[in-house]
Amino acid sequence: MNILETKALYHDFSGLKVLFDVNLEVEEGERHAVIGPNGAGKTTLFNVITGTYRPSEGQVFFRGKEITGFAPHKLVRLGMGRSFQITSTFFRQTAFQNIRMGILSKRGIRFNMFRMLDKMDDVTKETDEVLKRINLDGERDIPASALSYGKSRSLEISMALATDPDLVMLDEPTAGMSVDETHTAVELIRKLTEGKTMVIIEHDMDVVFSLADRITVLHLGAILATGKPDEIRDNQAVKDAYLGELEV
Amino acid sequence: MKKTVQWIILAVAAGILMFFPALFGIYFTNVFLTFVIFALFATTLNLLLGFTGLLSFGHAMFFGVGGYGTAIALERIEGLPLILAVLIGVMAAVALALILCPIMVRVSGTAFAMLHLAFGQLIYVLALKLRDITGGEDGIGGFDIPPFSIPGVVSVDMTDPSNFYYFGMIVLVGSLAILWFFTKTPFGSIMVGIRDNANRVDYMGFKVPQSKAVIYLFAGGFAGVAGSIYALFQNLISASDAFHILVSFVPVMMTMVGGIGSFFGPVVGAGIFGILEELTSRYTEQVELVMGLILILVIMYAPMGFLGIVQILKEKWFGKMSQQAGAEEAS
Repeated sequence: MNILETKALYHDFSGLKVLFDVNLEVEEGERHAVIGPNGAGKTTLFNVITGTYRPSEGQVFFRGKEITGFAPHKLVRLGMGRSFQITSTFFRQTAFQNIRMGILSKRGIRFNMFRMLDKMDDVTKETDEVLKRINLDGERDIPASALSYGKSRSLEISMALATDPDLVMLDEPTAGMSVDETHTAVELIRKLTEGKTMVIIEHDMDVVFSLADRITVLHLGAILATGKPDEIRDNQAVKDAYLGELEV
Repeated sequence: MKKTVQWIILAVAAGILMFFPALFGIYFTNVFLTFVIFALFATTLNLLLGFTGLLSFGHAMFFGVGGYGTAIALERIEGLPLILAVLIGVMAAVALALILCPIMVRVSGTAFAMLHLAFGQLIYVLALKLRDITGGEDGIGGFDIPPFSIPGVVSVDMTDPSNFYYFGMIVLVGSLAILWFFTKTPFGSIMVGIRDNANRVDYMGFKVPQSKAVIYLFAGGFAGVAGSIYALFQNLISASDAFHILVSFVPVMMTMVGGIGSFFGPVVGAGIFGILEELTSRYTEQVELVMGLILILVIMYAPMGFLGIVQILKEKWFGKMSQQAGAEEAS
């Protein structure tokens, strides 16, 4: 069964057509990569799916239920998490406090005015466990703005996962990372998304081919091809449009 | 060790507050009560400004509506109990916040500040023009202050300044305690989240406008508490005391000077302004001139205010230990 599906999705920014008849299908449990040259519309596709924009035309389905134009918080509550290409943490708060927001959300503690946050030992404990898993326990009380780039990217990804979504949408998680940092990040993603469905936008082909079960190639706002990594590697149209340049 | 010291300081402070009228006399008791009223007022503003990142140029409207609500209720309704009079003032402020919040939660930044300026001025003009209700420029004064009474148990005369001091302090300090607690609940986390990155708050599964509305109601309602106590304390509320643009700026200045980054910054700011007013008014009428100068200096050299300076000095003297504690506080 498809956990995520878009049907004839179009989006344009006051006349500029960015998405063109996108029919994306993501199966439950798979790791799906979306690749394509700059300006192909990958992030817009994410934005349209996760509620930043309402698509100009078309529909989005999550577990068979239509979610077109749902606000982000609604989607999070349904079980969809999202990380950002440009790091988007609560920069003045500590790593601990950043993750804790996700844990609170996951536990449905949102409008509670009668309990002190620091006294919620179970929340504190779970947050510390998450920090340990992502190797940020040493930076627990450091503001997000003071973390190293690699660490703040880890935090960014982990915040999306802290709400315990079934479907994680990662927008270029390794953007701007060094080779070492990328390697660490990929291992982290592999570990954290165990048993979840993941959709990932990625430019690094090594990452894509090592991580993805299936790949969708987006070119000029339309889907060029979808298939297993080997099929994509051998696809002539993809080679012409994109991979050829990179000599994969 | 640190805990014991804190408890001793707290006990001493409570003792001083308890016997303030006896220790310092009626004049300073009144000065002190004024300070606490404005400390609460400024703290409610800081809930918006410091915690949620929303600057308001019209916060006086909640203060004023709270004051007018109480004053009009006491003037019109015979034999109204004191607590109910305060409650009516607070409810009036909450009602105003409820009316405004559908608009206000959808804007931020300059639009938020300017809309408050506009509504604040609108209400100021209304208070001047609706003479039948508000008494126009004279305001409402000389209304009877009912005794604080629990039927059959006690009845305390509230026209006695030291009795009123105790009543006022219980309400005001109680309100500050509630607000402090509020910032320590998950809402505190949502507030600073909205300040730092509202979009991400949405993407973490929280409803941003609804959360903002709750924060706004708290800020407005407790500003109403401050206004209500102010009206009772002065036995007078007038448009220029309640709704004038300067009344909106006072808590902003107090918060900036005291320290925008922590809960008690506005309290410290209110204290600094109170002391300054006491000292400068002995020599000159131009109290605002001195305060303006201090505000300029603070903005230029100490953007995190007085408590920000204290924090920097602490770090210098005690090093890393307090730095971590500081990070907690500033959040």
